[in-house]
Amino acid sequence: MAEACHRERLGVAPQATRQEIIDFLLDQAASPSHHGKLEPCDVTMVAGNPGCGDVITVYLRVDAARDAVARASFVGEGCTISQAAASVLMERVQGSPLGEIEAMDANEMMEALGREVVASRPRCATLALSALKGAVKAHRSQQLRRGAAG
Amino acid sequence: MSRYANPDVLVETEWVADHLADPKVRVVESDEDVLLYDAGHIPGAVKVDWHADLNDPRIRDYVDAFGFAQLLSRLGIGTDTTVVFYGDKSNWWACYAYWVFRLFGHTRLKVMNGGRRKWTDEKRPLNREVPHYEPARYSVRTRHPEIRAFRDDVLLHIGSPSPRQPEIRLPRKHALVDVRSPGEFSGELLHMPDYPQEGSLRGGHIPGAVSIPWSKAVNDDGTFRSADEIKALYEGQGINPEQDIITYCRIGERSSLTWFVLQELMGYPNVRNYDGSWTEWGNVVGLPIENPSVERATRAAAQAAQRPQTGTM
Repeated sequence: MAEACHRERLGVAPQATRQEIIDFLLDQAASPSHHGKLEPCDVTMVAGNPGCGDVITVYLRVDAARDAVARASFVGEGCTISQAAASVLMERVQGSPLGEIEAMDANEMMEALGREVVASRPRCATLALSALKGAVKAHRSQQLRRGAAG
Repeated sequence: MSRYANPDVLVETEWVADHLADPKVRVVESDEDVLLYDAGHIPGAVKVDWHADLNDPRIRDYVDAFGFAQLLSRLGIGTDTTVVFYGDKSNWWACYAYWVFRLFGHTRLKVMNGGRRKWTDEKRPLNREVPHYEPARYSVRTRHPEIRAFRDDVLLHIGSPSPRQPEIRLPRKHALVDVRSPGEFSGELLHMPDYPQEGSLRGGHIPGAVSIPWSKAVNDDGTFRSADEIKALYEGQGINPEQDIITYCRIGERSSLTWFVLQELMGYPNVRNYDGSWTEWGNVVGLPIENPSVERATRAAAQAAQRPQTGTM
């Protein structure tokens, strides 16, 4: 329960002003959590638009026994919102069951980041989540293939 | 050494610094990163969010004339105000906003050379104070639709070919400049998985396009290259002022920088920006596409099929 509450609190404070939200996002982008390549990892997933726009690469190592995130990290380039979102997400998901990630939706990210500020850029705000969900999906596919191979 | 045909459309940071208090000048920041302005901006500058302020919320098009006039009025920009744009990414979005303002007929427009980066590299002041100007009277007068190309304009421009025509050549004196990266041009790069909204179902380029990435027209510090360098760059690839030229990229912002370089700086008389760009062309059913990466893969597969099969009994 305490851990779930802690996880829910990760992100901007609910009563934050617009300027506080902006400062929070700027801080996250300037000093991102869980930033860097993860080696070894089970899955690498890239999302975004190379050449024009934001790109996020997510690295995922899975705790197979618990079907949970053993560790996740990211690297990326792009706007403040996309990089801050990746940082906030990575902080949230360490140790999380994969099912929880599969159930996460865009609204949760928008609330965690400060909807008032990021509402005009929903794609930037949810890019890291898309990449992470893609990584979990790829992991599931790997599991199925290994299962089928016996 | 040549000069730009219209040097007055470009101003240096020093000029901007000297005109911060000029009531006839309005400095406008337009960025890809929507939070940069809030992090600190040129004192007195206002923000134009290309997405929220210039685009219609329902259809893929710009706001209408009334919406544009309301925006400029709110920003304290009158019809005789000189608007100076600057921004991130070597002024991509600054040039895009400039192009949209020109589309609606605003005449006094400039771009600050080097953009936001040069201003900060020179350690010039930034502040977070959002200025509030007296609303100005503004009405859209003479628009300039001739600087914009739509999808059907581009199809006509390349000779209205059948999509399965084996070879497509542009009509004489027509040119098409693809300003994306070589990987996007060749079809190797598409949108990434699970992020399809700004991507395309098909990779490649519009038949007849020449690949001249936007970045070749700017220096490493974000300033525009000299007139001689720009002339050599484009004429070296067969692009010259006698042509009817259309530029495009993915969503029209990088190509608006190239439009600015060719039409505004170099004075090429006939340049249009195709803002639908590849996110439109690469998604429309039945439009012709050249995709070197698919063509290479098809040739490789055909060659592999012709090799003698080996095996064991």
